[in-house]
Amino acid sequence: MAHSFKDILERARLGGTKRLVIPCPEEKDVLLLSEASAARLTSPCFVGDKDAIKNIVDESPLAEKEYEIVKENDPQLALSRALEILHGHDGDILMQGGIPAQMVLHALHDKSRGMLPKGSIMSFVSVFPLLKGEKLILVTDTYINSHPSVAEKQQILTNCLKLARILGIEAPKVAVLAAIEQVNPGIPSTLSAAILSKMSERRQFGDAIVEGPLDIDCALSRTAAERKGVKSIVTGDADIYLVPEIDTGYLMAEALVFFGRMQMAGVVMGTIKPVILNLPFVSKGDRLVQIALACLLSKDGGSRG
Amino acid sequence: MIKTLEEFSMLAQERGPKKLAVLAPEDEEFMRAVKDSWDLGYIEPVLVGDTKKMEEVAEKVAFSIDKFQKIPQTGQQAISNLGINMLFSGELPIASKGQIPTSYIYRSIIREEAKVGSGMTVSVISFWDIPGMDHLVAFTDTGVNIKPGVKAKAEVIKNAVFVYHLMGYSRPKIAVLSGQREVGGTLDSYKDHEILIKSADAGDFGECEIVPATSFTDIFLGEKNCREGIADIQGDEVPHILVVPCLDTGNILCKLDFFLDVTRSSLVATSKGPVCIPARSDFSDNIVQQLAMCVVLADEMGKREQ
Repeated sequence: MAHSFKDILERARLGGTKRLVIPCPEEKDVLLLSEASAARLTSPCFVGDKDAIKNIVDESPLAEKEYEIVKENDPQLALSRALEILHGHDGDILMQGGIPAQMVLHALHDKSRGMLPKGSIMSFVSVFPLLKGEKLILVTDTYINSHPSVAEKQQILTNCLKLARILGIEAPKVAVLAAIEQVNPGIPSTLSAAILSKMSERRQFGDAIVEGPLDIDCALSRTAAERKGVKSIVTGDADIYLVPEIDTGYLMAEALVFFGRMQMAGVVMGTIKPVILNLPFVSKGDRLVQIALACLLSKDGGSRG
Repeated sequence: MIKTLEEFSMLAQERGPKKLAVLAPEDEEFMRAVKDSWDLGYIEPVLVGDTKKMEEVAEKVAFSIDKFQKIPQTGQQAISNLGINMLFSGELPIASKGQIPTSYIYRSIIREEAKVGSGMTVSVISFWDIPGMDHLVAFTDTGVNIKPGVKAKAEVIKNAVFVYHLMGYSRPKIAVLSGQREVGGTLDSYKDHEILIKSADAGDFGECEIVPATSFTDIFLGEKNCREGIADIQGDEVPHILVVPCLDTGNILCKLDFFLDVTRSSLVATSKGPVCIPARSDFSDNIVQQLAMCVVLADEMGKREQ
């Protein structure tokens, strides 16, 4: 089981070098991919303005390594070409590069040329190592879905469970978060949490324990939970925190990074092949871990739940 | 200007004891907090509720309550109504929830505010004392409004600004938080921010400023679009008041203190004085801290009335 970002990097290295396709890379992307190449995680395939990319690469440590540049000056066409390469089995991972995130997500949704299987939804998982290094925790959805329905939350959770299992968490413990731990018809998040919890009881998520609704104090502290009369092995030891909606998800991930000074790496789940986005609050060091996460997913046959 | 929760504790000793209506103190952890607050000179409790139950729990924590006023009352809503009415009638300056669901307390406050025509709505303010930061940071509303619209958020802001003014901050900075990011269209929470920033500029909330930032990335990184690493995180620019988009977000964010190196303390500000609303999972030292905060704010409100 991976307990830390170091574990993720080591496991990814064991899986062999993956081919990472990136449209319109910026200088910071090239530098990051130099590190990823040095770590034998990925070999990059750049799609974009060939001369400009070549100039950046020549100034970077990547100049000594293996790489490919596919010429396509228009950003929209560069993205389409990147997707074609991935569909043609010449690529394993898509990285956002210099294309706006909304444009990338839109292209991934495209029925014929996108990377989303019919009936699937994309979601974003933020992975945090706990400060004492005892385990990794996963928070989802922290970026993509704004106000998911119960059916969408079911898929978001399924996506996240896949990542948890790839990280070696055999029977993930899931806290479905809400403002309170009681089921209250006036608070919709408590209803969807209760439904997901019941689905889990019926083994609809396989080998996982889904508890909800849980307020964050019950999720984080067994003592707090017991004082509130909540008895569950999930309390105080959750592997996955499923948030009610994006205001909570995005702000919670940021709060852990900025107030908690925690490291964070995230990855898109639900797509045929792993996708890495550029979230502004992910540190340079953690961006390499995001690539490693994508490599682990690629090894396991895409990021579909 | 009160910058830490520790300062509240020190000031509470100077300005106490204040009379406190304690509503149904039937839990050991809570009664221990009342005992400690009395010992520290913060409060003089007026105990409202089932006398037998209160005496039993007081005995368990070795607290002699013979010398204090006891008002027998049964029924959770009746106890709540009685205690909150004592606050609003000026009989005492603070009330605190014991073993009563918070919703009963909110109902009593809403009723009393309507009677006095204050125009104040009920919202919960949860402070974070963050080591190394030069001011207290408050999340609000963390307890009452499930999905506040822009009007409700305006009232939530007014309440928090009122409290920060009492704490000595002449022009508190406010961020109206949102999960707005590069994808997903414009969220309602972001639209609220756009409206409220104009209202603040027009002076609708008194002396305060709503900052353009709506996320912690905006707050901590400003114009930078990428983090270098842990070292570049500076907290001095964190606004005083963080208005949360909804109850789920507020409750989840403010209770991350279980995870982080911060101390949390919450209260409800009413037009007639603070109400202490400890969570059922709070321990006695945390409740004592919350009572200290209420004592100091009650004192400030008393001075203003004079």
